[in-house]
Amino acid sequence: MSADDRTYESAVARVEEIIRRLDSGDAGLRETLELVREGRELVEYCAAELDAVSRGLEELRLEELVARLESGGGEPVK
Amino acid sequence: MSVGPQPDATEGIPGSALPGPFPVGSYAAQLRRRLREFARVQLVGEVWGFRSSGGARVYFELRDAYGAMPCSMWRNEFEQLGVSLADGLRVVVGGGCDFYPGSANASPSFSFDVSELRIAGEGDLLVQLERLRRRLAADGLFEPQKRLIRPALPRTIGVVTGERGKARDDVLAGLRRRGWAGRLVWAFAPVQDRHAAPRIAAALRELAAIEEVEVVIVARGGGSLADLFAFCDEALCRTVALLRVPVISSVGHHTDRTLIDDVAAVACSTPTHAAEAAVPVDVTEARRATTVHAKRLHTHARRAVLTRARELAQLSRAPAEHVARNRRRLHQLLRELRASARRKAFDGRELAGVHLLVLSRGAARAQSSDTPRRRTELERLALALAAHDPERTLERGYALVEDKAGDPLTSAESARDAVRLTVRFHDGRVPAQVTEL
Repeated sequence: MSADDRTYESAVARVEEIIRRLDSGDAGLRETLELVREGRELVEYCAAELDAVSRGLEELRLEELVARLESGGGEPVK
Repeated sequence: MSVGPQPDATEGIPGSALPGPFPVGSYAAQLRRRLREFARVQLVGEVWGFRSSGGARVYFELRDAYGAMPCSMWRNEFEQLGVSLADGLRVVVGGGCDFYPGSANASPSFSFDVSELRIAGEGDLLVQLERLRRRLAADGLFEPQKRLIRPALPRTIGVVTGERGKARDDVLAGLRRRGWAGRLVWAFAPVQDRHAAPRIAAALRELAAIEEVEVVIVARGGGSLADLFAFCDEALCRTVALLRVPVISSVGHHTDRTLIDDVAAVACSTPTHAAEAAVPVDVTEARRATTVHAKRLHTHARRAVLTRARELAQLSRAPAEHVARNRRRLHQLLRELRASARRKAFDGRELAGVHLLVLSRGAARAQSSDTPRRRTELERLALALAAHDPERTLERGYALVEDKAGDPLTSAESARDAVRLTVRFHDGRVPAQVTEL
């Protein structure tokens, strides 16, 4: 799974797969460390995705957002 | 006009056969009186152009394929009915013709004065709805939205709803329940009347044109099927079907099924559920799960290294332990060997003792009381032996003839064959010779 086509669901699914493999005890040292590294990266991605929708509800009216986009950005109107 | 308006003093058209001229206001008043004499009846047709401009009356047209009639109704009477009139809605109205004669400052108008009104029946609407549903289905418009990928954690959500409706609060409640606190873009639009469908469609198109918007909720509270009819608008449904963003609809209650529900990606029974469907992941729970995942990965990483480090340490101690183990084993064997040797010596002494005892007993037996008996027996055997001793026989006067070799000759013939003989007496031998054969 490349970082480009990664989604929250696919990341969570892969982390769960990794943990199942580690729980099985069948992974050798090299594979374990590789899986842990990949898992940590995915967990960081998931945490960032969750952070992005946890920063506080921002409410905009459509016309405000359109005006903001047309003016080239600016601070969001709460 | 038998009792008509009185002619004005103004001179009429020369040569005209028509009566008058009458003052127009008098004529208009007469016309109203006559129109009001028309029989009051019920009419059936479709509503178009309903308007309620804040005055005392509301206005709309009633149409069918063959004609139309302007209608008006006292506002308070209309509001008491508790219905809303959207374009195309089939209604039955009761009333009669009326005419507003106007004035110097106001235009006259004719209308059918409605005193009773009812929706022509949901059965009719349902037939119309079913016909449209089949058409949309035949055009394959129920599928495109279902094929869109809905993000698990949309950062920006668009919502089309009435500005003052309860649906707005319900959407917020649903998002709060999910723990979602991203960006929400409200596109307020009328959700009931003939203006609703085009405004909702326009709002959807505008939301979809904003790249940030990942999913759109269309929400409206409950109402009669006529109230919800704007959400069965064909143009609106076609717009929804072809949007690039998934649309989650929640129109009316769970018993209502509007056409927008059919074309949307997901149809929910309440705005709260629609909000939850827009954010499939429970953010609070997902955060907890992510923490658990992080801890488990950490534990696995730590355990993988520590376990192997312990194994290596154990392996490095193995040779020394091996030697120590074998030394212990050797000591054990040595102890066992010594113990065994002690046991053997003891057993040997025991056996020797037994043999000694047996010998002693044999010796004792030898010295026991049967010794005289054995001696007598021996003497008897000696006597018997002496009786058979040839020497004894010789002592009694017998002689033994032997050949040269000293073997006894026991017959005359053997004596003759030997020729030279030895005669043995008890006290010595005498040579002899056979002289006569």
